[in-house]
Amino acid sequence: MESILECRNLVKFYPNCLALNAINLSIPKGRIVGLLGPNGSGKSTLIKLANGLITPTSGQLLINGMEPGTETKKIVSYLPERTYLNDWMTVNNMIEFFRDFYSDFNHQKAYDMLQRLGVDPTQRLKTMSKGTKEKVQLILVMSREAELYLLDEPIGGVDPAARDYILDTIISNYNENATLIISTHLIADVEKILDDVVFISHGNIVLTSTVDDIREKENKSVDALFREVFRC
Amino acid sequence: MLGKLLKYEFKATSRTFLPMYALLIVMSFINKFFYSNNFEYFKIPKLISMTVFIVVIAGISVMTLIITIQRFNKSLLTDEGYLSFTLPVKAHLHIDAKMIASFVWSLLSVLVSLIAIFVMIANHNVFAELGQLWKELSDVIAKVGPGAYVLLLEAILLLIITTLGSIVEIYAAITIGNLSSKHKLLAGVGAFIGFGIVQQIVVSIFITALGPNVEEYFESISRSGVQTLMNVSELVMLVLILYTLVFGLAFYFLTNWMLTKKLNLE
Repeated sequence: MESILECRNLVKFYPNCLALNAINLSIPKGRIVGLLGPNGSGKSTLIKLANGLITPTSGQLLINGMEPGTETKKIVSYLPERTYLNDWMTVNNMIEFFRDFYSDFNHQKAYDMLQRLGVDPTQRLKTMSKGTKEKVQLILVMSREAELYLLDEPIGGVDPAARDYILDTIISNYNENATLIISTHLIADVEKILDDVVFISHGNIVLTSTVDDIREKENKSVDALFREVFRC
Repeated sequence: MLGKLLKYEFKATSRTFLPMYALLIVMSFINKFFYSNNFEYFKIPKLISMTVFIVVIAGISVMTLIITIQRFNKSLLTDEGYLSFTLPVKAHLHIDAKMIASFVWSLLSVLVSLIAIFVMIANHNVFAELGQLWKELSDVIAKVGPGAYVLLLEAILLLIITTLGSIVEIYAAITIGNLSSKHKLLAGVGAFIGFGIVQQIVVSIFITALGPNVEEYFESISRSGVQTLMNVSELVMLVLILYTLVFGLAFYFLTNWMLTKKLNLE
């Protein structure tokens, strides 16, 4: 099967710290993948490399066969673990911004979701709570009709009630050919929507499997397996 | 894409500049009022409004510099960089958009300040003097011939390139500073000083290499007429333009290279 994201001996060194240790990984199209690992395991580093926000020390990362660049940015929709919105803009401004730069942005979808989550589009981002900002960001990212979604901790800051709606939104808004990579440590919450999991620890991939395999062969949930693999 | 980036760049910056420009123009009219009505009891308000006027002019030039630095740093190298660098645009377009916007604001800041001063002092005498100045200038140009226009053109070109060059020099310093993981500000300032030293060294090498020839050349000029002086001025301007251009391009490509190949957003 053709892979949307591929890592070949990918290494990333930070000063005094090896973040990714020559990882090899291939993620096929059309799957929902959980990138799971404890804090500081290299999840965000991998996702940032895929977005070209940092450059690899050695090795290669390919998206649809291309190194991160203008062409890959057209097909990748990225939700970072921090808020990147210009705080003087209103939600309406941000929607216009996304429409201007991403040809796959569906603004109708964005307005529908904003209404469902009760966010006022005329509000300035400066006046919003952290959780609301995260919702807005997720809505913007999921309103793109991208080929690859990279969601870094998408539900970390929102309340459990909104979490379910957001996961539903993620599932109902992505088309069959698109791939979704969700990095998180809140496994129980996302488990039900995942097809595959990748366990990452200290910059190494320790396990890749389908969720069905884990349930059938190991006879346990992903959450339970995670607790076992990463026992402190 | 450059057009879209520029649109948002101006949107983000005009919020700060336009109110300041408006304030300055209002202040210039207030000052004009006080100066044309020379009453005793206006003494203190007159002093205050003049002080405010000067502070606003100084503020505008400082702000122009600060916003040049802040727009580049904040929207590319902090959290906002996560959005800027995931837009499907090439890195150099970000540099271009910010550089053009900063250039336009620098130009406008000078222009608006000049207009404000002019509004404040304008009266019959000033107009008469300006007319006189213009007449004298035309006389000089007529005497010198078309060479004067070449020189004027060169001066404008030098001004544009120097402004753009200074802006990318700042960008290059910020980008180098960002490579340091702990002391970004210090490294940035260090890089900026380093650039100055490199330019000094290059100039000294050239002057030493040309050494005696240059002195002789300029001595021979001092003995010759206006025409030669014009030619020499044109040549000197051309050298300055080339020098600024070479360094400006070097800073531009350095910044672009670092933003494409060495980007490491935290």
